[in-house]
Amino acid sequence: MRPTDPTPALEVRGLSRTYGAGPTAVTALADLDLAFARGTFTAVMGPSGSGKSTFLACAAGLDRPTTGAVLLEGHDLVTDDEGARTRRRRDRIGFVFQSFHLLPYLTAAQNVGLPVRLAGARPDRARVDRLLTEVGLGDRAQHLPGDLSGGQQQRVALARALVTDPAVLLADEPTGALDSRTAQQILTLLRRSVDGLGQTVVMVTHDPVAASYADEVVFLVDGRLVGRMPQPTVDAVASQLAHLDQLVA
Amino acid sequence: MSTTTAGLAARSLRHRPRAAIATFLAAALGTVLTGSFATLLQTSFTTSGDDAETLFVLGAVVGGWGAAIVLFSIASTVGLTTAQRMEEMALLRTLGATPAQVRRLVLAEATAIALVGAVLGAAVALLTGPLLFDLLSGELVGAEVDYAGGIAATTAAGLGVLIVAVLAAAIAARRATSGPALLTLRESRAETGRLPWWRVVIGVALVGYGVAMGIVTVTVTADDPDPYAAMSTSGSSSILVGVGLAVLAPTLLRWGAAPALLLGRRSSSLHLASYNTVRRARTLSAVLAPVIVLTSAAVGTLMLVAIDARTLPAGTPEAGTITLLNNVVVGMLALFAAIMVVNAFVASLAHRRGELQRLRLLGATPEQVRGTVLAEAAIVAVVGIVAGTLGSLATVVPFAVARDEGVVPDGSLWLPPVVLLAVVGLTVLAARTAVGPAARSVVAGEAR
Repeated sequence: MRPTDPTPALEVRGLSRTYGAGPTAVTALADLDLAFARGTFTAVMGPSGSGKSTFLACAAGLDRPTTGAVLLEGHDLVTDDEGARTRRRRDRIGFVFQSFHLLPYLTAAQNVGLPVRLAGARPDRARVDRLLTEVGLGDRAQHLPGDLSGGQQQRVALARALVTDPAVLLADEPTGALDSRTAQQILTLLRRSVDGLGQTVVMVTHDPVAASYADEVVFLVDGRLVGRMPQPTVDAVASQLAHLDQLVA
Repeated sequence: MSTTTAGLAARSLRHRPRAAIATFLAAALGTVLTGSFATLLQTSFTTSGDDAETLFVLGAVVGGWGAAIVLFSIASTVGLTTAQRMEEMALLRTLGATPAQVRRLVLAEATAIALVGAVLGAAVALLTGPLLFDLLSGELVGAEVDYAGGIAATTAAGLGVLIVAVLAAAIAARRATSGPALLTLRESRAETGRLPWWRVVIGVALVGYGVAMGIVTVTVTADDPDPYAAMSTSGSSSILVGVGLAVLAPTLLRWGAAPALLLGRRSSSLHLASYNTVRRARTLSAVLAPVIVLTSAAVGTLMLVAIDARTLPAGTPEAGTITLLNNVVVGMLALFAAIMVVNAFVASLAHRRGELQRLRLLGATPEQVRGTVLAEAAIVAVVGIVAGTLGSLATVVPFAVARDEGVVPDGSLWLPPVVLLAVVGLTVLAARTAVGPAARSVVAGEAR
């Protein structure tokens, strides 16, 4: 973490993604430019089909954009081959999925340490324990995911996303599968990782409450950036969402 | 059965062709194998004298052992593919399906697939039965004896296979639908780690019976004037003990993976593989079971044949035929078991595609995913050949002692390593083939 470094943690330039070809082609992203400064928390919002999930997949190196660049700490992910992209993603990007994606046969602690193992190193037990304690699961380290509640599983997933000290933490509807109280815990933890650790967080959500935890909300419609809202409140976000068509016009 | 269930079953089948193919293959091949021997049995009923007895022994005894392996493999394949549908069954139940409805759905599917497999297998057995008979005719059986096998024998074999398949599906479905609906929706409840008592009883009984037959061989039949008496008491022991150990496979797998847990600290693939093996021993044991039986039956029977050929005075008219017959039997069983190994791997991996893709999402390279599955295969192969070799000793040692070669046979010691290498190669190759598409699959599918 270098707060003085002006390079954005993550930046996309001219990002386009088209599925299919010919007359049936669907444009999910159309020439999108976005930059996320270090130590910021950004929420990406938009109606379904607006391209927010595609954006996140491209930003995470999970999907290849049709054209454009994805700069992770200034390094273009798009030009990497699959192996190099996988390694960079593993080492420098933390990802929190809506459906947790824990491995059912590994304990909470083993799940948290998995990205480190996949990178060929031994997870630092103290660091794993500290992360689990930070997400409030210090006493659940040896439990299997099947024995944890949804909120607890997502907290394990959050600890896992942070274990490599990534340049950016990407979250795809991280609270989508949770009730409002457990959702609040996750959002508070995300917020704390930005304020306390200087983490950069980019979160896709459709929930105005979740978005209100961010420093800024960006709105996508039809794969284009149509608006920004700094210091969002729940009401402001909700009313903006209700009138997205005006932004487009 | 309601039309809803039938319609749902048909659609669900189309959705999971690989699991269906696994069950189908097991049922079809199993019926071919048991059906062929059943035609010998049927022929024996219309024959008289020594020939009738020979045919009866071949059909009932040899075919019986084949049937034991076949039925066990079918039960384990059907059990595997049914257990893999826990999530889907739980989903149906949360939508309001009663446990009985879910069980009917699973049974309808298993019955449909096994029925198609059994019918096809029975038809093929009508052709392979005469082939098997031709092999014996003029050798073990008088040339004047006419083949009298037919549709009755192969139908009975098919029926047996069908009953076992349906029974196995019923047991697995019952286990999956017991308890409240929501609980079962949780992904992979931690396995209890303990085998049901009846499995332990069956396994221990089979192993115990095999060992007892070995003792009988050394103490009683070894001194019998008929040189084949010792073979008749010890010949099937390796298959018996092998099946017994295969019944206990989940426990063996858990023990066997323990060293891998320690080694796993060095490699991420081995780390994942060892924990998956320990905590999902029951799923993976469907792959281990045929490996054990294959190793045990192949090593045991081949060594038996080799010892027999060395120690029996030349010129015994039956010797050549018995060797041939033993080789045919072991060849058929080995082929069957080998197909079951591949079958089980494909079926178990088809279900884990989502999980392997999850690993890719978390940053595992395709090589790491492939490495994990190969490491699992290696653990299975090693546990399988160790258990299988132990099982084969139940035949080899008593028979070697009975033929005065001592505890260690005098020759053909190159045989076991060759079989073991073949088994390891087969297991790892099966895993490699099966994992290919899963490791490569495009990751983007998830995030879209």
